[in-house]
Amino acid sequence: MKGCRYWRTRIPEAIYGELDAETQVRMERHFAACPDCAALHEGMARAVRKMDARPAPDRPPQFWERYWDRLESRMAREAAADEASPRRRFPRPVWAYGAAGAVLFIVIGIFIGRTLFRPPAELPALVRATSSMGAPGGRLSPAAGPVAPPLALRASRYLKRSRVLLLAVVNSGPGNEDPFRLGLPLQKRTSEELLREAVVLKAGLRSSDRRLERLISDLELILLQIANLSTDSDASDIEIIKAGVENRDIFFKIDLSEIRRPTEKSDAGISPGTGRDRRGPGKAGIAAEA
Amino acid sequence: MSREDQARLADRLIAGDPSAFRELVDAYQRKVYGLAYEMTRNHADAEDISQVTFLKIHKAIVTLKPGLGLSTWIYQITHNAALDHLRKKSFYPRGAAVSGAPAQAYGEPADPAPGPEASAETACLRGRIDEALAKFSERERAVFVLRHYHDLKVTEIAETLGVSLGSVKSYLFRSIQKLQKELDAQPCLREGERR
Repeated sequence: MKGCRYWRTRIPEAIYGELDAETQVRMERHFAACPDCAALHEGMARAVRKMDARPAPDRPPQFWERYWDRLESRMAREAAADEASPRRRFPRPVWAYGAAGAVLFIVIGIFIGRTLFRPPAELPALVRATSSMGAPGGRLSPAAGPVAPPLALRASRYLKRSRVLLLAVVNSGPGNEDPFRLGLPLQKRTSEELLREAVVLKAGLRSSDRRLERLISDLELILLQIANLSTDSDASDIEIIKAGVENRDIFFKIDLSEIRRPTEKSDAGISPGTGRDRRGPGKAGIAAEA
Repeated sequence: MSREDQARLADRLIAGDPSAFRELVDAYQRKVYGLAYEMTRNHADAEDISQVTFLKIHKAIVTLKPGLGLSTWIYQITHNAALDHLRKKSFYPRGAAVSGAPAQAYGEPADPAPGPEASAETACLRGRIDEALAKFSERERAVFVLRHYHDLKVTEIAETLGVSLGSVKSYLFRSIQKLQKELDAQPCLREGERR
């Protein structure tokens, strides 16, 4: 029956008397015509009524009589401990800790990216082979025809687009509107495009960068979930996608991959040539990539 | 405590009235304790969390804005303190394994003078409800407890937990369904009804 999903999700509010009179009447009208929804409402209301058997947990009056005394003595203890702590004697502004932490985090991130996650030797060779379709120095050979961007660049674009897409999806809060009708048509279309791109990238990588391949595979799963979102998807579907993103540390892995990129760009993303060529693809190269 | 009373109390706290904090503790100690207990299912932990909550509130009074509703703010601090406590507990499982009174210790029975059958049924129901609540996720439990025991509206719960309104509705729906499933799976019938 039409509207069942909507009315079912409002059952808890009806049980706890949060609906306004007009909505309540409309809901009752729906229940009169829909025995399934009416039965669901009755079952849930019965379960909530049974909660009367379990009052809110409480303690005996003696407990509450001495509660303030215990709290007060704890406050005094904590205040004394605060006074005695070195932090108290040599106070530092709170922002200094935050700034120091942020700097440390960035330094550690760069260190990890540059040392532990050094790109494998196979990738540059592969990318050179891909980019060698153009003329040396990144110039486009007139006879070469349309040239696909280097694989590393494609991978980077793919990751950037994926990140933007995932941010859009995980932040598409059901709080904005009706949580039980999330359309996300643009995100779904983009997911499909990215899925196609993932196939190309994986074929191009051919196990030369296993970490990147694993990341692309992880992303494929999430993108599939987004692409398969039905028109009546609700908040729980988004929650599942969010959980997938969090569990697989997708944003972190994308960031790591981005940190690795400058190294790749210097010796992989650009075709071998003069010192000038190694600094960047030049206008012609950019035009070719575009 | 009405919204106006809360705003008045907040104003007195900001003004530095020494009796205002005591009043706040008296007004909210049971609520704070109740939410902490439901989150941890342990009386010792609940008392610890409630004290930590009031300590945090005492320190954060300077950040209060005049005319603010206190309830949501206090529940927010309680919920965060409970989550911190649970995380520490899972990180240091041995040190946190201290348990106080039994989890089923409630203030008063639902029916002041129930017959033996009715009280057996009530005890059975309580057991089933406890089992159901134990199966809730942290979020579901927080949402359900705030709605059922603390009478917060779904919008207030969303504000307290820092989640969207739609998520709160989803959590509440799922929690009641889980409760219903648990209670329907093994009903607590009176002797006469069993035959």
